[in-house]
Amino acid sequence: MADTLLQLSSIRKHFGGVCALSDARLDVRRGEVHALIGENGAGKSTLINIATGLYRPDDGVMILAGQTVAFQNTRQAAGAGIHVVHQEAELFAQLSIAENMLLGEGLVRGAGGFIHWPKTWQEAARRIESVGESFNVREDSGGLPVARRTMAEIAAAVATEPKILFLDEPTASLTVKEIDNLFSQIRRLTQRGVAIVYVSHRLEEVKQICDRVTIMRDGATVSTHAVDTIGIDGMVAEMVGREVLRSTKEARYIPGEPRLAVQGLSDTAGTFHDVSFEVRAGEIVGLYGFVGAGRSEIAQTITGLHPARSGTIAVDGAPCAVRSMRQAVRAGLAYLPEDRLVQGVFREHSVMRNASVTTLPRLATGTLVHARRERAMAEQVVADMQVRTSGVSQPIGDLSGGNQQKVVFGRWTATNPKVLILDEPTRGVDVGAKSEIHRLIRERADAGTAVLLISSELPEIMAMSDRVLTLAAGRLTGEFDPARNDEKEIAAAAVPRATAAVKPVVSRFAAVGARLLQLRELGLICFIGLLAAAMTALHPAEFANTRNFVDILTSAAIPAIMAQGAMLIICAGGIDISVGSMLGLVGAIAALAAKSGMPPAACLALAVALGCACSLINAGASLTARIHPIIVTLAGISIYRGLMRLATGGREVMLLPPEYRALADGRLFGIPKVCYYLIAVTIVVHLLLRYRVVGRQILALGNSESAARLIGLSKIKLTLLVFGISGALTGLCSVLQAGYYGKIQANTGAGMELQAIAAAVIGGTNILGGRGSAIGTLLGAFLVALLYNSLVLLGADAYWQNIFVGALILTAVITDALVARLRKGAA
Amino acid sequence: MIARLLHSRETALVIVLAVVFTLFALLTPNFLDAFSLLERTRYWIVPGLLAIPMTFIIATAGIDLSVGAIVALCAVVGGLLHTDFGWPMPLAAAAAMATGTLAGAFNGSVSSFLRIPPLVVTLATMTLYRGMALRLSEARSFSSFPDTFLWISQGDLFSFGAGRLGPLFFPVPLATLIVVGAVGAVLLRKSWIGRYTEHIGANPTAAVFAAIPVPWITCGLYTACGAVCGLTALFHTALYASAKADAATGMELEAIAAVVVGGTRISGGHASVSGSLLGLCLIGMLRYGLELAGAPSEWIIIIVGVLLIATVVLNEALARRAATRSL
Repeated sequence: MADTLLQLSSIRKHFGGVCALSDARLDVRRGEVHALIGENGAGKSTLINIATGLYRPDDGVMILAGQTVAFQNTRQAAGAGIHVVHQEAELFAQLSIAENMLLGEGLVRGAGGFIHWPKTWQEAARRIESVGESFNVREDSGGLPVARRTMAEIAAAVATEPKILFLDEPTASLTVKEIDNLFSQIRRLTQRGVAIVYVSHRLEEVKQICDRVTIMRDGATVSTHAVDTIGIDGMVAEMVGREVLRSTKEARYIPGEPRLAVQGLSDTAGTFHDVSFEVRAGEIVGLYGFVGAGRSEIAQTITGLHPARSGTIAVDGAPCAVRSMRQAVRAGLAYLPEDRLVQGVFREHSVMRNASVTTLPRLATGTLVHARRERAMAEQVVADMQVRTSGVSQPIGDLSGGNQQKVVFGRWTATNPKVLILDEPTRGVDVGAKSEIHRLIRERADAGTAVLLISSELPEIMAMSDRVLTLAAGRLTGEFDPARNDEKEIAAAAVPRATAAVKPVVSRFAAVGARLLQLRELGLICFIGLLAAAMTALHPAEFANTRNFVDILTSAAIPAIMAQGAMLIICAGGIDISVGSMLGLVGAIAALAAKSGMPPAACLALAVALGCACSLINAGASLTARIHPIIVTLAGISIYRGLMRLATGGREVMLLPPEYRALADGRLFGIPKVCYYLIAVTIVVHLLLRYRVVGRQILALGNSESAARLIGLSKIKLTLLVFGISGALTGLCSVLQAGYYGKIQANTGAGMELQAIAAAVIGGTNILGGRGSAIGTLLGAFLVALLYNSLVLLGADAYWQNIFVGALILTAVITDALVARLRKGAA
Repeated sequence: MIARLLHSRETALVIVLAVVFTLFALLTPNFLDAFSLLERTRYWIVPGLLAIPMTFIIATAGIDLSVGAIVALCAVVGGLLHTDFGWPMPLAAAAAMATGTLAGAFNGSVSSFLRIPPLVVTLATMTLYRGMALRLSEARSFSSFPDTFLWISQGDLFSFGAGRLGPLFFPVPLATLIVVGAVGAVLLRKSWIGRYTEHIGANPTAAVFAAIPVPWITCGLYTACGAVCGLTALFHTALYASAKADAATGMELEAIAAVVVGGTRISGGHASVSGSLLGLCLIGMLRYGLELAGAPSEWIIIIVGVLLIATVVLNEALARRAATRSL
């Protein structure tokens, strides 16, 4: 075909021992809507991720507009005109919608490369409007409903004028109106020659909007057809690919007493609503629905992992309101989770440990586990489940996916559950292991266990279940008998209709809390004002005078500059607790250099360079080991302090040259010099974080490392940058400290890291990263100094200082954690 | 077989220890003096005791930076109650241990139940507890303790007169460390507590899905760590015959270094108490040998710091290599 735009052939991809793609092919033509369909785990997402540059294929060819391409990252793919809207739009929750839309390709910049916010917002709003939506693009995206996030992502992608746009399950959370809107956007784009690759489980939509369809199964492409020629039945047949083995099931069971009874269950997140069903002894009930219908959430609510809003659960007639998996196990429930790697296995641990984890206390006397009993238990699991392993001591990560799954299954059957909930038990499992797992499920049921089988694979549901429940958009939509009803009826019932979106429970209190948080700076100013007013009333003479005010400002200056560096590092998701020692080391060396006759400006440059170097070493070591910088910088505390003592011989560095001290000491126009440094640094950091693209990238990295990777940000570059800045500021502060106090002592700078961190977190920096501001940090540092000044005036002695700093940090992080929780409840 | 032995961190450490020992023995006169060597082990009790609960905490991918500060706080509480309030020593000691337990429980509940990263919580409590110690003691040092109390650190279990290698004796703190270390090792290896601990570090989500009461276990570990800090404070006080607010400053680094050198990964999932104790021996021996060789004390803290960073990098690299190989 002459107008083939993108062609992928013979693509292979392995993840560890798991083969995700064995032979994937896809060719997309200009101006068409090309559907990509397949069961969950067929390899659609992996193929998209390869086409859009996130993964590199092990093997295979990719040809774009006649040229062979191999993208190294998502940026290159985007540069070539390939864009993607991911299924669960991963977001930088603490950045505005406008930034989420525009960060990948670049925010609108004005004079000097500074971000022009009004234009950025306009641009984002224009894009939103161009897809017929309207909402406040300045709002944090974390508070946005999923449907709107998806529309924002689509709007952002559409406006980039892509050549090829991948839409991964775009309609999963959209309402009918939004879907219509999306379809008209798609038609508009295709008229301009854009190719759309449309991934969806909703075959009716595929029929409605798509021209051709590629069907994938088990990591390989089965076929490509014109949609008109194949029809929905044909698509299902090729997706499933094998005859449903309905004959394997005999009319064997006599329903026993209901073992699990669920009545009117809803969850607080609004994922599912008013779900009622029961599962009888010996019965396998299939729960069929698409991803996002709320299947796993129902299972997790029953087992206490997910909070319920209303409804009752009973096991063997006894009410069972469990609030943790532990209680669920005691009540006779077991849950095999959906995501084996994340929720199931302990990869590095042995088969034995993975098998025995649920029954460990039973294998123990007191707290001590009987090694022989544990081994016997694990060997029993291996035998019962026919796990292929070289022995129970083998790390489970070495086994194939199917064998890993059998071990996790065995872990749960070993608890002798009354009710067994299986969530996608055969996902990513090879055919042989699959039938063995099916046999094991049936054995459990025959032994009288009530089994709830969750699957998005219809043939599995049909073959295994005695009864099928269908779930669509959080509501049960039907009950079927697989012996009498056929697949089409069941599949139809699971297709989400006009989404009657379930409203999440929003507490008004939570919403207010969330708003308050956004006004951090205002809150700090109010608090500072109130405190100042109170102190003026209590101690008018000592507190309310210019001298005291200047004192407070001066004592806040050096910690405040340090806090700006700490804030940047924390924003990027790190921490550096060695800056206090670093300040001592750099200060001592610079002071010694000044005493030896080096000009003050050169000393300052030396200090800044040294600080930068120390900090980059910290960053480099933690990036190399790929560990949190806390450990490296903890060691840094000792190393830098030790080096400082070596440099000074353990003595104070005093009698500094007056011209060196003049860098920091004294006043200019009646205001202490350090205040000018503080103002300059605050402005620079503010501009960097607020108005430079790189500043927003720092925040993006702290928000979500994986989402940052999706838009092609370099963690290494950004980490080195924030550490470099922090080190340079530490160098600056070491000179200020020496100038202001006239000496560098053996313990100069000790505890400074905590004052800096305290100022940053009080100023609204999220200790987990992703949010912070220079102005807030400045106010935080000022508040710390003011509080301390007030405490001293109120009669507290110097011994209180450490308690005070520690308590402040704790108060700030605990408050932030509680508010964040409220906020999550509101979102 | 040999490859596997070499692969085990404990074996590697024993070899390194032997090499370091031989080097010091050859290069430093007086190093082989059994009396001084044994005398020296008394000082290992402080970082050694701390390293044991730290091994568990790091195994969960957590960290406790406040251990040194808790030791100081407990030491001051004990000293204050005994000296200023005239409490009998056993009662004061019990109060010190209780203080440590409470301090640890606070760390544990804030980090486990409010889900604030333990490094943030314990960084804040590090300065908070140290400040409390300073405030309570007003920077005084308490030093009138009964001899029977000092025996726990300064006494010997038995001693024989002069043999060919000098007098032979067994210091009480070394015996204590061995006993506590053995208890720790058994708990980690043989009990479900240790098993859960490693599971939590290996995959916290899977731990929740496997019905492990994750917050209760981690909270319990931090609480136990506080209790051990209380115990450590007693040994620290008895060792130096004084209790003051700057006790055990920087000891968190030494404890963490011992754990990491001992092969416990900072990212959790695998831990070894015996490794930690061997790491402690290595650091202790380096410190002793360097001192004898006349190296300034600054070098020693620098070396401990560099050793920590180097082994962290090594541990992660080895683990990553093992992971890719197993795929």
